[in-house]
Amino acid sequence: MDVSEPVLLILLSLAEQPRHGYAILQDTEQMSEGRVRLSTGTLYGALRRLLEEDWIERFKEQDSSRGRQAYRLTAAGRRNLQMEVARLKHLTRVAALRVARKET
Amino acid sequence: MLALYRALLRLYPAAYRCEYGDEMTDVLREVQSENQKKGALALLFSGMRETGGLLYGAVREHFMGITGSYDNGMFSSGRRSAMRSEFRFPKATVGLMMVILAAVMFTIEKARAISVSIPHANPAVGPIHPTQAMIVQALLATLLWALTAGAIGWGILHLLHRSGVHQLSEMNPSATPKHR
Repeated sequence: MDVSEPVLLILLSLAEQPRHGYAILQDTEQMSEGRVRLSTGTLYGALRRLLEEDWIERFKEQDSSRGRQAYRLTAAGRRNLQMEVARLKHLTRVAALRVARKET
Repeated sequence: MLALYRALLRLYPAAYRCEYGDEMTDVLREVQSENQKKGALALLFSGMRETGGLLYGAVREHFMGITGSYDNGMFSSGRRSAMRSEFRFPKATVGLMMVILAAVMFTIEKARAISVSIPHANPAVGPIHPTQAMIVQALLATLLWALTAGAIGWGILHLLHRSGVHQLSEMNPSATPKHR
């Protein structure tokens, strides 16, 4: 499945550690250096889709006094993320080569 | 502002609200609290972003409920690289139709001028007869009909594209089965 940049950032955020909704918003903004600022509606649309696709799972935070819902990557989600990162690596390698070739 | 967000959340399907409503309200509260510290401008932009996001999300969820498709646009392959929809209204077609209409109108006018300049060969053309007027009206009606048909066709194609029907052939039958 192809993923957009916001979804990729959400997956990368969850790859590091499980997070709740607001923490994902903050982390995606930080990772993209302020370029990607997800709205809550967009975030939950993406989270719902990822839950449906079994890329992530939802659980209640044990260490939170509010018992907030948090999200973490599933094994399938991590595997798919690794494939996506490999695809992007290949693309950037090809892009670098093509650009360098054009400049010389 | 939080009251507005809560009102917008009511636009979502009941099942969605039941599942994510409280959680989204908590996040919206935290977002608002954070932006209040940053100043009025940040609060304004954040409010606009959240309002737009909630409206779009509500429409998307209802659309999903109708079509059964979970394609929310963020997952479509075209969006990632192209950044523009492949299904755009064919502006060139509209332009071409306008040129054709202008050419027809010009030809009618030219024919009338020639007719007037040769009075012996052809009787003078007086005021436009109902039949001639009907030709122009028929042409305009045809143009409008073609534009409407084009817009409907484009709408259908756009909906199909958004629903991900064109991606059915790319589906992997061995993919992990969905749950829930």
